[in-house]
This record gives sequence, C-alpha cells and structure tokens, in this order.
Amino acid sequence: MTASPLSDELVLETLRQVIDPELGVNIVDLGLVYRYVCTAGKLTVTMTLTTPGCPMHDSIAEGVKNILLTLDGVTEVDVEVVWDPPWHPSMMTEVGCSMTGVRNF
Amino acid sequence: MMEAILPKSAAVKSKPAPQKLVRPAATPNLAGMQAAAVRLPLFFVLTGVLSLLVSGAVLLAQPDLLAMYHYTPHLLAVTHLFVLGFICSIVMGAMYQLVPVTLETQLFSEKLVKFQFAAHVIGFVGMVWAFWNFNMAMVGAFGSLLTLGVGLFVFNLACTLAKVKGWKVIKFGIASALFWLMATVAAGLFLTASKFWNFISVQPLAAMHAHAHLGVVGVFVMMIVTVSYKLVPMFTLSELQSERRAWGSVALINIGLVGIFITVLFQEPFRPLFALVMISGFTLYGREIIAILRKRNRRTLDWGMKYFLTAIGLLVPLSILALALTWSGLPLNAVTMQLESVYGLIGLFGLVGLAILGMLYKIVPFLVWFHSYSRHIGRAKFPALADMYSVPLQIAGYWSFLAGLAALSFATAWSHATGIRWGGGLMVLSLAIFALNMGKILAHFIRPKIEPFAKKSNSAINTL
Repeated sequence: MTASPLSDELVLETLRQVIDPELGVNIVDLGLVYRYVCTAGKLTVTMTLTTPGCPMHDSIAEGVKNILLTLDGVTEVDVEVVWDPPWHPSMMTEVGCSMTGVRNF
Repeated sequence: MMEAILPKSAAVKSKPAPQKLVRPAATPNLAGMQAAAVRLPLFFVLTGVLSLLVSGAVLLAQPDLLAMYHYTPHLLAVTHLFVLGFICSIVMGAMYQLVPVTLETQLFSEKLVKFQFAAHVIGFVGMVWAFWNFNMAMVGAFGSLLTLGVGLFVFNLACTLAKVKGWKVIKFGIASALFWLMATVAAGLFLTASKFWNFISVQPLAAMHAHAHLGVVGVFVMMIVTVSYKLVPMFTLSELQSERRAWGSVALINIGLVGIFITVLFQEPFRPLFALVMISGFTLYGREIIAILRKRNRRTLDWGMKYFLTAIGLLVPLSILALALTWSGLPLNAVTMQLESVYGLIGLFGLVGLAILGMLYKIVPFLVWFHSYSRHIGRAKFPALADMYSVPLQIAGYWSFLAGLAALSFATAWSHATGIRWGGGLMVLSLAIFALNMGKILAHFIRPKIEPFAKKSNSAINTL
C-alpha cells in the first residue's frame, strides 16, 4: 500500500484530538504547536506548553506522538518541547480564545 | 520534505509564527509525576478529607466546645485533628505535587514520602487521642513521631529546593514556611514537655497562642501566599506583576511573625506594632493578587479559584480582629474572650480551610486525571478536568460554607450553642457536598471513562 501525502488539514485535525486537560482546549487552538516537519514518513513536531514546569510535559508529548502515529504513512514521530519563545495567550486561535474565555487582543 | 509553521487552520485566522529560533527545554519537567508519585499525594489528600469530616462531625455533636473558652482538652483534640489531620495532610500532599511544579524541578525522594506518611498518620491520630484524654506524656510520644515525619518532609523539600539555583520569591517563601513548620513542631513539643515536667514559667495560654501563630501564619498562610504567586497567574492566564511587591509581602509577613511570636509569648506591649507589620505584608499580597487578576487573560474564574480568592479575602476581617485583640485597651469580658475563638475559627476554617477546598478542586481532579487518563492522550477520548465534578454542587458548597462560617462566627462570639449547631450544620453540609464531588472525581480513579476514537487516514479526510 502506498501512503498518500499528509495534508496540513489532516495533521491539524489529528493534533486537535490532544486536549489540554486544565483549559479543556486542543493544543492546536491553544497555539502550543509551533511547527512540524515531515521527511520520508518522519514527523518532527516543535511545540510548547502553557507554563514551564507543567506536569503534563511528558504526557502531552507522548500523546502527540501516539496520535500522529495513527496516520497512514507516518512511521516515526519526534516531539520537541521548547520554552523559547514562551507561550502567550495571543498565540491562540480565535476558536481557542472563545473556548477559554480569553480576552480579545 | 514538507514543513508547516503553526498555528494555522482552514477554520481560523492564521497567527504569525515565532520568528526567533526555538530553544529546547533543558530537561523534561515531569516533576516526578509517575504513577506512584500521584498515588502518594492522593493518600495525603484522602487522609485530610477524612479528618475534615470527622472534625466537622465532632463539632456538630458537641457544639458547646465552641461556646466555651478554647483551652479545653476536647477542643485541643479537635483543633489538632483539624490542623494536623486535615490541613497538614493536605498541605503536605499538595506540596509534594506543587513544589516541583512551581519550582520546575523534581522531588528529591519519593521513598521518604512513604515513611513520612506513616509517621504523620500514626503521630497525629495518637496525638488527637492523647489530647482528648489529656495525657500529656502520650501527646509528647506521638508528637515526637509526628516531628520525625515533619523532619523527613522538611528534609525532602529542602533538598528539592536546593536543586533550584538562585533565590526566587517562591523558593524563599516555601523555605520560610518549612522553617516555620520545624519551629512550630519544636515549640509544640517544648510546650508539651514543659507542661509535663513543669519547667518554664511562661504563661501557658500565651505559649499556646504563640505556637498557633507560628503554625497558622508561618506555615499555612505563608504557603498560601507563596504558592498563589505561581498558581493564580497559571490558572487565570496572567503573570506576576511585581516581583518587588511579592518579595515585600513575604519579607513583611516573616518579620511580623517573629515579632508577634515573641510579643505574644512574653505578653509584651508591642503586639499591635508587629500585627501592623504583618498586615502591611498582607496588604502588599492583596495588591499583587488584584494586579494579577486585573491583567488576567482568562475572563471567567472557575469556582475552585472563587473559593481560593474568597479565602484570601478573609484576611481583611482577620486583620481587623488581630488588631483589636492585640490592643491592650480591649476590655476583658465574655464576648472579647470569645473573639479569640472567632479569630481562630475564621483563620483556620475560613482562610486556610476554604483556600484548601479551592485548591483541592484544582489538585484532586488533576491527580486522578493524570493517573487515569494521561497515558491515553492521543489514543482515546476521555473527560477534561472540569467534566469530572459537578459545578452546581460546587456552588452549593461555596454558599453553604460561607453561610455556615458567618453563623458559626457570630454564634461563637455570643456563646450561642444553638447558633453554633446551625452554623456547624451548614458547614458540615458544605463538607458533605464537597465529599460528594470528591467521590465523583475519585470514581474516575476506579472506573475511568475512556472511549476509543476512530483511526484517521488521508483517504478518510479526503472524502470529507
């Protein structure tokens, strides 16, 4: 079977299934996912968390890995959690803002 | 090769991607949240909730305990059950979870936590029994075991603090609270020994009040102040607004407490002066919390935060009462004597108790959620934290607690046994509601609600 190429929509929709438990919003609309790179079946995701020291660090990173590995054609996932630039509520999408009750910017 | 910079989506407006180079986190900050580490804080929390229910039930069964002056064996027993069984257990369990989180490090030793838990539970249960029977020798024996546990707790957290470089205000505040904790248990043991062997001439009531201030202000209030500098911004999506103001608050509370301890113990006339120093610290703290809340990005405050912030608000009537009680011109009569009990009641049940209930609504769901669901992230659907308990119950618990506290305070001031029973009844109702909500949360520990989600594929998306 030949895997079809990954689309942005597919990756984003898949990552939207990973929810931050405290805020109850997915990591894409929270603006936690900074970028991803796909090379020959290997996805490298660069992301952050809402606060340094978040005890969910490993669980969310593992969750991202698990969910992306369910995609056809993805054989390896590498998740890099970074603190620079630090997350800020202004990085949220409009959907994220409305779901968290965050003020408009 | 394909590269995407996020956040972006067909459904939402794109936001600019970070322009700076991203820097990897130095070390994963899991904060020791392995399954065993989650279970241990949970044991402390359960011990605390159980002690809270028992102390509420005893007060309901014997309301006259609050209607009379507070220096009685049974009230000392209930106070220690509340302070050591409820507050200390919760604070210790929460500290094992929160200190690594707030300082972004890992707990020094999980093994020590198990030994400390055993020493703590045997120690405080024995002490409560010994106070009830006013057997000071046994108070000393069980108190020594409790002190051993406290020593392990302080050692474990001090070693955890030592792993963090520099002196941030949060680290200093936690270190202060640990110091006052050791000072409190040492003072308590000294008091017990002096009572048993009769070797000091300090007035016993003054010594008891000084010991109580060390514990309540030095340990519990200091912990609340310090931890809230991290947690209030974290839960409201805000930031600490003035590091200087935060340092000022912690420093003034510490200085005020040293002065209050000495002047209360030796019944010196400078008590109002040091009370004012401490109140200045609370004022700075209040101003900083207001500034943090004004800058918050999350408009809606959940009820856990409302519990916590209301508790902090009780510092206002407490400060007024403290000033009145330290004033040397205060006439000594039945009502003013009872005001000391009201002061203790609002401080312990109101400020510390309500703040803890608020924080438990944040901590317990997280611990249970972490235990039951964290390993299923990205594999299945499960509830968010706010879906694990009932908000209407939380609101009912909030109002019945405040109504109960108000009724209990007035009835205690006027030594009105029926009023105390009604006020106590409302508070027990509030605690029962809280226990019910905790039961709902713990149900996820026993029977997690996990639904698998369908595997996605490119072809599936393309057909949408």
